[in-house]
Amino acid sequence: MRKNQKIKDGILSSCIYASAAFTVCILVFIIGFIFVKGIPKINGHFLTAAYDDETAYVIAETIPEENRASDKNLLSEIGVYYDLEDDGVSMKVTDFTADSTAKDVTNMNGEGEKISKGDLITSIEPNDANHVRIKVTKVGGGIMPMMVSTLFLVVLSLLIAAPVGILSAIYLNEYAKPGRLLTIIRFAIQNLSGIPSIIYGLFGALVFVQMLGMQYSILAGALTISIILLPTMISTTEESLKAIPKGIRESSLGLGATKLQTTLRVVVPNALPGILVAVILSIGRIVGESAALLLTAGTVAAIPNALTGEGAAAATLTIKAYTILKETGDVSTSCGIGVVLIVLIILLNLASKAVTARFMKKQG
Amino acid sequence: MERNKVRDTIERIVETIFLLSALVGVVSVIAIIVFVFYKGLHPFFGEQAYPFLDFITGTKWAPGEGTYGILHMIVASIVATCGAIVVGVPIGLLTAVFLSEIADERLVKIIRPAVELLAGIPSVLYGVFGVGVIVPAILKITPQVQGQSILAVMIVLTIMILPTIITLSETALRAVPDRYREASLGLGASPIQTIFCATIPAAKSGILSAAVLGVGRAIGETMAVMLVAGNPESGMLSSIWDQIRPLTTNIAIEMGYASGQQQEMLFATGVVLFIFIMIVNLIMITITKKAGNE
Repeated sequence: MRKNQKIKDGILSSCIYASAAFTVCILVFIIGFIFVKGIPKINGHFLTAAYDDETAYVIAETIPEENRASDKNLLSEIGVYYDLEDDGVSMKVTDFTADSTAKDVTNMNGEGEKISKGDLITSIEPNDANHVRIKVTKVGGGIMPMMVSTLFLVVLSLLIAAPVGILSAIYLNEYAKPGRLLTIIRFAIQNLSGIPSIIYGLFGALVFVQMLGMQYSILAGALTISIILLPTMISTTEESLKAIPKGIRESSLGLGATKLQTTLRVVVPNALPGILVAVILSIGRIVGESAALLLTAGTVAAIPNALTGEGAAAATLTIKAYTILKETGDVSTSCGIGVVLIVLIILLNLASKAVTARFMKKQG
Repeated sequence: MERNKVRDTIERIVETIFLLSALVGVVSVIAIIVFVFYKGLHPFFGEQAYPFLDFITGTKWAPGEGTYGILHMIVASIVATCGAIVVGVPIGLLTAVFLSEIADERLVKIIRPAVELLAGIPSVLYGVFGVGVIVPAILKITPQVQGQSILAVMIVLTIMILPTIITLSETALRAVPDRYREASLGLGASPIQTIFCATIPAAKSGILSAAVLGVGRAIGETMAVMLVAGNPESGMLSSIWDQIRPLTTNIAIEMGYASGQQQEMLFATGVVLFIFIMIVNLIMITITKKAGNE
């Protein structure tokens, strides 16, 4: 009997250890996989370049004939050193001479442009007496537009969700009296948190994208995400409001302050760290969101130049990681984006921990 | 007196603003339900109504021919979710037991952030992991020509629900008063017996709600699943090596270009998914209420 029990205990406890080990291993494995595949992708170009190649004609002034140097692999008329690419035609810009005119060129619309290192020059021909027409390709493959779009989306979503969420929490915790209204609001918020993001996406696609005519746009995405954020925003803020002792409010009220003065000058300042944590958690949520955005913000790998309508569609980092994998099967680029995402998430986690720790210390 | 009047008005205005903010959540829920259900139920009414029974029992989804059946997707969603729960809940619960009952503080300080990180990883990256690791691994043992399968979906979902299960179960276990453990140990039970016969039963409702939340997360997951499921339009699931198209991915894949009846059918798919989620939510609320009453 005793022995049996010992064996049973042994089996059960090894199950416990195995489970914990499994959890840790799986995390290490996932992070390890993404980093091993993704890190080789990360470099200056990956982080700063546009995603698509951009080819355009530009006009450059030529260096006066008498000043032209002559050297191997030098385009002497504009002072650009190059490496010939494998195709035998494209010239990859490697360096500039001191008097190079390539850094100050104009495009076909007469706007200022510049040729930079790494660009491909595919043709160069005379335009007029002292100008040449150059066909330049800015090589893509970078994730800059997606990082900017993600940032836009974070800012926009927070601008909408943070005020609404925080004010809601203040109402629920400071003003609302128990009753039917409060029950309904709480029930709604509880339900909101259980809805999967693809349903939010459907709703956003119908209402914001189609009915309100925003098309696939960053604003439609931000509005949809704002609804997704509400439950966490409200409950996290409420937690921090609840943590403030009743006595503080009562002394403020007792000194003759109104309810509003008490709320704004006493309660909210004390709850600020908690509210900050709510915001940080929300940023993590926005950065990681994908399904809802796929249906509302689109998959265009460019920096949006409007809030709605034409040119407002934008792919975030997560969406791009998905579309790259889906369309080209390129796991390593997706992992490269994954590395950026995971680093971001880790930083956000640390930030929220730091804020909480300071808050705790202050409270004693 | 005059000043007080102004002040009172401001107080009232601000309170109204607070109230209006709080109502945004309510309005959102109502709007989501109304719009999704209106658009999703529309094709089943009126002149050219699509027979609802064909929709719910059909196993062929062919928008080109005007055939919309989603039974195979419903089955796929349910089976994949069950698979993830059957494996994920025990592992998650035992990890939670380890964290709250066995591990010392130092170890907890390492594992807990790890679990938090697991929860924070964007779901797309689980999909990337699935495509890069799980699908190729399955390809080696599957009798079929592709690695995308319901098995891959189950594995990905199992991993994805772990953080939810662990965090909530751990909270539930830690909330069990120490006197339960002491009483059990005092009666001569071994520490492991105490965990399984006293602590876990006492935390039952918390663990149950963790599992229910896991169901919600698994059934609603889209992006990670879409990458490893294969997403065939039709065909009932017959083995764990089969490709599947769960409800969520059906919406995500076709919404980008669908219009007219096809788009309405995607909303109808959303309605079915929504009903599942509502059931899950109701169970959840019942459990928490019951626990609160106890």
